[in-house]
Amino acid sequence: MFAFTVARRYLFSNPAQTALLIAGVALGVTAFVFITALIQGLAIRLTDDVTANSAHVSLEPMTRVARVLGSGDADVESIAIISTFQRRQIRAWSSTVELLRTQSAVSAISPQISGSAFLVKGEAVAPVAVTAIDPAGLDAISPISTQIVSGDANLGADGVLIGVRLAEDLGLSAGQPVLFRTDRGIDRLLVVRGIFQTGLESLDERVAYISIQTARPLFLLPEGVTNIEVKLFDPHRAREFAVFLHQATGLRATSWQERNANLEGALTAQAQTGTLIQVFSLISVLIGIASALSLSANRRRGEVGIMRAFGVSKLFIAAVFILQGLLIGVVGAGIGCLSGFVLCSWLATLTNPDGTMALPIAPSEGGYVAVFLLTTLGAVLASVIPARSAARLDPLEAIQQ
Amino acid sequence: MSAVLDAHGIGITFRNGDELTEVLKGVDLTLEPGELAALLGASGSGKSTLLSIVGLLLRPSTGTIAIAGQRVEGLSEVERAVFRNQRLGFIFQFHHLLPDFTATENVAFPTAAPAGGMTAVMRQRARELLARVGMSDRMDFRATRLSGGQKQRVAIARALMNKPELVLADEPTGSLDRVAADQVLDLMREINREDKATFLICTHDEHVAARCTRRITLKDGHVEGGPQVAKPSS
Repeated sequence: MFAFTVARRYLFSNPAQTALLIAGVALGVTAFVFITALIQGLAIRLTDDVTANSAHVSLEPMTRVARVLGSGDADVESIAIISTFQRRQIRAWSSTVELLRTQSAVSAISPQISGSAFLVKGEAVAPVAVTAIDPAGLDAISPISTQIVSGDANLGADGVLIGVRLAEDLGLSAGQPVLFRTDRGIDRLLVVRGIFQTGLESLDERVAYISIQTARPLFLLPEGVTNIEVKLFDPHRAREFAVFLHQATGLRATSWQERNANLEGALTAQAQTGTLIQVFSLISVLIGIASALSLSANRRRGEVGIMRAFGVSKLFIAAVFILQGLLIGVVGAGIGCLSGFVLCSWLATLTNPDGTMALPIAPSEGGYVAVFLLTTLGAVLASVIPARSAARLDPLEAIQQ
Repeated sequence: MSAVLDAHGIGITFRNGDELTEVLKGVDLTLEPGELAALLGASGSGKSTLLSIVGLLLRPSTGTIAIAGQRVEGLSEVERAVFRNQRLGFIFQFHHLLPDFTATENVAFPTAAPAGGMTAVMRQRARELLARVGMSDRMDFRATRLSGGQKQRVAIARALMNKPELVLADEPTGSLDRVAADQVLDLMREINREDKATFLICTHDEHVAARCTRRITLKDGHVEGGPQVAKPSS
């Protein structure tokens, strides 16, 4: 294509100016990649932090609501009374677990009994949120066994695992007995088998793990479970999967996003801020291309005029300038993507004194394809105005000037 | 043999605000094949305007034009561009070579651009034309490395690339010193004589006009001495 040859010659005719223009585009693209990788990295870290120690979808019985029985115009009405003593439970939990096992999106299932209790050690009493689970699936939802800092994770028939803050509050250490008192007033002496540290204050201070078999008599649930916790291979599918589970089981299904609405709001706001920065960096790149090509078109009025005089079509002239924009866009975006990846990869190696990443950056999440396509397309669009202006030049006027 | 140029009643009026200026007032002009005609006139007499009209760069307000037997006043913009490309050659006072291209590429450009690329045949013809204008040793030089006279020689070669029926030259020696101007004029005379190419040279220089085979003088928007009928080239 001869227009491409002309466009290339025009760009190479002033290498310094072209290099500066491409550098400007590359810089804008690098900024785009950095911002995208940083925002995505932050979102991934926050999501990982939240989902690492909790379920992606929780299944519970529907909330019971007191209601009037009978027709509205009946003289005598009766009321469905809710027993506050009877714990809400999922009786047919086995069939639900079977259903979950058939789902390819599910990575782990943990039927649980959750309830409130107190741990009593001498004069000290501490309220705890109890999670009773199958010891074989202890790490299904939260990798507790890897977070044990004292003792071990072997619950056995009379064991309890508690967080490091709770142990400090009660003065407990691994191997010591502690009185476990449920909200039904049932007491049992358990042994602290292990002390864990998740790093999350709410877990380390308030949660206690016991075996589900131990919990059944304590919470008066000989058969059912109070909730089924589910982990997915892709946490971002939790919302749609929760809807599916609700429809399939009739249980209340809550996704981790619903439980952490504030986090989701923060991530959305953060993403919107990032989008604004990305848009502005792209706009500045495109303005640079448009102004540089406009200057070029103006400087080459005489040449364009003579081309038009000897019959070169307007389309050819326009193609020359659009192809210049395309070349600048492709080369600038390519260099920008590469330098952005190198920059992000280097930043990802920087660590804090405690070994954690200094910047929560995800080099692989730089939005490379998007920014490459957007910049290239934008560069072509930015060159349309100077291209049209050059193509519309009156050859006579241009030559006389 | 039919006339290369047959123009009748060419008139053009320019508007500047409320003021109307009638530059050409019904010019009749005929050029036969092989003529080397000088178009003379005082500054502002409309000779460049007439050249632009004949070169299909400007539409006249009145009149008819036929070039090599084809009426051109009704052609669309695209058709006029194609006509200019295939049947007319242009030489301007300022050569307007493309500075980023070699002499050969500049000469081949009018053929290469519409064709979408430069073929070996095009390159060969461009080199033959450059040899014809005495530029054999500068064929691969960029335009920026050529002198004024050399650039004008390349511009002449470029004007001949598509074997035009009529070559229009607007003050082709206007930006050259006397020696270079004489060389360029000699070259055009030689091409006219040997190749029977028809030239219409717009000039205000009597020295240039004296070396042409015919003089056409514009005055007050008319051709001086009435309608100009072609005389065969000597």
